[in-house]
Amino acid sequence: MNAIECEKLSRSFGRVPAVRELTLAVPEGSFFALLGPNGAGKSTLLKLLLNLLHPTGGVSRVLGHESTRLTASEFRRIGYVADGQDLPDWMTVAQLMEFCRPLYPTWDRALALRLQTMFDLPGDRPIKKLSRGMRMKAALLSSLAFRPELMVLDEPFGGLDPLVRDEFIQGLLELPGDDRPRTFIVSSHDIDEVERLADDVGFLAGGRLLVHESADSMRGRFRTVEIVGSRVAAPAARPAGWLEVRQPSENVLQLVHGAFSPATESELGGMFPGATVSLQAMTLSEIFLVLARQHRGDGGKEAA
Amino acid sequence: MLPFSVNFRPGEPVYEQVTYAVKRAIATGQLAAGSRFPAVRTLSQELRINPNTAHKVVASLTAEGVLLVHPGIGTIVAPPAAGSAADRSALLNGELERLVVEARRLGLDEERVVAAVRGHWRKFQRIQ
Repeated sequence: MNAIECEKLSRSFGRVPAVRELTLAVPEGSFFALLGPNGAGKSTLLKLLLNLLHPTGGVSRVLGHESTRLTASEFRRIGYVADGQDLPDWMTVAQLMEFCRPLYPTWDRALALRLQTMFDLPGDRPIKKLSRGMRMKAALLSSLAFRPELMVLDEPFGGLDPLVRDEFIQGLLELPGDDRPRTFIVSSHDIDEVERLADDVGFLAGGRLLVHESADSMRGRFRTVEIVGSRVAAPAARPAGWLEVRQPSENVLQLVHGAFSPATESELGGMFPGATVSLQAMTLSEIFLVLARQHRGDGGKEAA
Repeated sequence: MLPFSVNFRPGEPVYEQVTYAVKRAIATGQLAAGSRFPAVRTLSQELRINPNTAHKVVASLTAEGVLLVHPGIGTIVAPPAAGSAADRSALLNGELERLVVEARRLGLDEERVVAAVRGHWRKFQRIQ
């Protein structure tokens, strides 16, 4: 079953389209990282899923229910944490937990206390006096403690220091591992934060989902290539998968290969006899920079 | 604390890196035969990796016979066993050939490669 489904989902603000005919399926139990530059439409998409915004076209479903018809009983199964989210500032962390507990039949008191200790959150301090990282952890605690089946996180790591970020990820990993599948959708403009967590990554730009594939297959098919040899020149017709071809000198050719396979090395060797070909794996964040530049460069027509 | 460590490198599948780290820890004796192997959940939390990936690591190491699952007891490190004929042949004919091809491409000579193989072999022997 899919935890999230979108069919031609669209949303415009006035004449400006933020999400354009987006179709997506996120299977239950998976960790989906939604990436893209600022203004790509990530937050709008997440808000559409949770009915915090209405679509101007298409449909989305979460946990089998149409987003526009979500009721309290579904919201008890969905956690939502967003950067800069409203919290009742006058409450202390302990009061916030007591306030949330009766709202959720599945509230797990032991988990809440464990997270409070793990996050080093003082129970008696008003939320308005907490640092940004502490606030985010308080928001995460109040969402994780009812063991939601779907966690929606909108830019949760923005401005968090590495230690707090690590605690935050540790907190997220407290959730899976029991009888029910737990699905995560996390938006970020920086993949480094979720690189080891993501099963699937989606790259959003200009309101469109340009790439949606498993993190492993993406890591597998991208390589940086450097060809060093006497007078190496790029072929007139650009071979499939070649991106960002650069020629810093007549003896050096550099490119990003977006369709690498075990055969690539010998293909390149055949293309450039006598030259030294070196291939290097790329991090997902390097790959996304390439995709973002591609998108910008061709006016949003195509990516890799 | 996990009985082995992983130095994550970018660009390589997380699953392969963890699987290799486990095999290496067994080769160095860090993980002794018969010792308990961490649960999927612990693996995921300690390494900050996706639980699905942690599950895949344990499932594949079990399928390869590196780990043994005892219902009710948990997962333990299997005693060293002679690999299947197919696995041995894949290593000797496949991976070793690839190593030789690479070494020749980089202009290494036979002696240096054999010496390096021997060095690695002894490194693990010494530890055990």
